[in-house]
Amino acid sequence: MAKIIGIDLGTTNSCVAVLENGVARVIENSEGARTTPSIIAFTNDDEVLVGQSAKRQAVTNPKNTLFAIKRLIGRRFKDDIVQKDIHMVPYKIVEAENGDAWVQVHDKKMAAPEISARVLMKLKKDAEAYLR
Amino acid sequence: MSTEQETVEAQIEPEAVQSDATVSNEEQPHTEVAEHEYTIDELKQELAETKHKAQENWDKALRVHAEMENLKKRMQKDLEDTHKFAITNFAKELLTVMDSLVLGLQAATGDSEDVKKFREGSELTIKQFEAVFNKFNIVTLDPLGSPFNAEQHQAVMMQAVQGVEANTVVNVLQKGYMLNGRLLRPAMVIVAKAAD
Repeated sequence: MAKIIGIDLGTTNSCVAVLENGVARVIENSEGARTTPSIIAFTNDDEVLVGQSAKRQAVTNPKNTLFAIKRLIGRRFKDDIVQKDIHMVPYKIVEAENGDAWVQVHDKKMAAPEISARVLMKLKKDAEAYLR
Repeated sequence: MSTEQETVEAQIEPEAVQSDATVSNEEQPHTEVAEHEYTIDELKQELAETKHKAQENWDKALRVHAEMENLKKRMQKDLEDTHKFAITNFAKELLTVMDSLVLGLQAATGDSEDVKKFREGSELTIKQFEAVFNKFNIVTLDPLGSPFNAEQHQAVMMQAVQGVEANTVVNVLQKGYMLNGRLLRPAMVIVAKAAD
């Protein structure tokens, strides 16, 4: 039977839970942790890392390691917050054709929700592995 | 309605058993009509409804059964994992003790007899420690010279090193450990930078 999971998509960490006997139960991710860092990395060999492993390699790949992406969702490139962020983060924030704040990785422009979706995908996968 | 008629007629002719019999004889077709008050269409509809309900209940039963099976499996896995990783926190704490031992050994330089004896003792203790780790399926990660792997290593720094391929571990600051295939602590490493 289809199950309903709840995902807390946070700026720095995310978490997934399922209702079990009327009580919300946090599901451990594939690494056994109850929270997953909201970090996405695109490695040089075109691999996408999400979570703890993305965090561990951040030093080696700062330009393509995206974090705190939630802050950009729904913001225009010209927003003060975005303009301030640009000077604080190692990855590249660019202006999309429609004026939204996007990020650029390996010469590819991506929308902030598109990046955050990777975190949701991982959490969903981990929940499926648990509920299978 | 027929029963009412019956009682009324029975009241009118209460004296004869015979007439009673006639009454019931007369009444019989009436009763049958009463039982057949449902038309065939109605019956068909009711049958369909009942069948539908039965199917619904059957589906529900199947679903509950499947859910139970899943729950059983999940519980089993939960229990297994709990067994497998019960010592996680304890083991993590022990790693720092192991680190201190190794650091102590590294710091004990000198040629005097006493220092040599101390080193010997430390080495033996570390070996013993490793044997205990082995017993509990704790594997050491010492990735010096191998390619950086974010699943097991934590990059602390990048360093340009001559003659070493980029993304290779050139220094292990702290060894990592795995417990039953799950990372207990990543190895803290320095990774080679690509030459610009």
